[in-house]
Amino acid sequence: MILTGPQIQANVANGDIVIQPFRKRQLAPNAYDFRLGNRCCVYTAKTLDAAVANKTRTFTIPREGITLQPTRIYLVNTEETMGSRRFVPIIRGRSSVGRLGIFIHITADLIDLGSINQWTLQLHAVHPVRVYPGMLIGQVTFWRTYGRRVQYDGKYNRLQSPVLSLSYLDPPIQYE
Amino acid sequence: MILTGPAIKTAVQNGRIVLEPFDSTNLNPNSYNYHLGDTLLAVGSNAKRVRKIKLRSEGYVLNPGHIYLGTTNERIGSDHFVTLLLGRSSIGRLGIFLNVTADLGHIGSRSHWTLELTVVQRVRIYPRMKIGQVSFWMTDHRTTHRYKGRYHQDSKPVANRDRNLNREPQ
Repeated sequence: MILTGPQIQANVANGDIVIQPFRKRQLAPNAYDFRLGNRCCVYTAKTLDAAVANKTRTFTIPREGITLQPTRIYLVNTEETMGSRRFVPIIRGRSSVGRLGIFIHITADLIDLGSINQWTLQLHAVHPVRVYPGMLIGQVTFWRTYGRRVQYDGKYNRLQSPVLSLSYLDPPIQYE
Repeated sequence: MILTGPAIKTAVQNGRIVLEPFDSTNLNPNSYNYHLGDTLLAVGSNAKRVRKIKLRSEGYVLNPGHIYLGTTNERIGSDHFVTLLLGRSSIGRLGIFLNVTADLGHIGSRSHWTLELTVVQRVRIYPRMKIGQVSFWMTDHRTTHRYKGRYHQDSKPVANRDRNLNREPQ
């Protein structure tokens, strides 16, 4: 079951959901609209590799915004710190942003319980499009769980977003 | 409701979820990590023309502008819960899509899932790497209808089998 806007607000009030800063006007009937942060990380290598620490460049997005190019992936933090130890967050773009051809994640919408952070958005644009820090970019929904809950304690937890892919830290693959 | 990691493990142990092979180190707080199989199909603009790519330990570079069909190394499914297939954030951060807005699994399907891989930038991937995750969801009622469609029990990447795809609407 998905939480309604009023339930999200009540759980922010009682501490079961973290949304900081929380602005009531960003509540939707069954989601909360979050904003784009201003730290952006892009890869500098021409060909990425899932097994290595790919080189990156991080910069501050100016108030005038940046134009996303379709040929690149842009890792940008959410302005809000968000998460929950009780309800599973799932993120998605706002329809206004989808209509501009902007993906805000790349098939990675599911957030682990206990991942309480500024999340790293994976921005990808279908054609060149300008985005601005602080704009309403996506929405987060919260879902009830079934079963005993355990909390995320993984490699991204204590790092400041945006964080490049840490897939190179996965256990090495054993080939025969 | 979404199953937690411990609930997924219990369901695997009592046979209500199929994850083969199963290794509890792949459990997340609310999902299970799957791995990439060792074969890709590169689909041409004519959906009937597909090229088979055998993945080796040195990896393979995916190029933007193409769709590659892969599979999960695991056999995945359930007669009781709805499966959603997604990527991992580590893989999304590399610009790799695991499906093309087709994340919903049917109750009753149990197969090596066909992945629809597309990439934003050139990126090297490896067979059997940890590439995505599946989540499992409760349904409202007892299941009365199980999927037995054209992709049921697939064990390798399967290109589109829809014979109606190129037909004009009736």
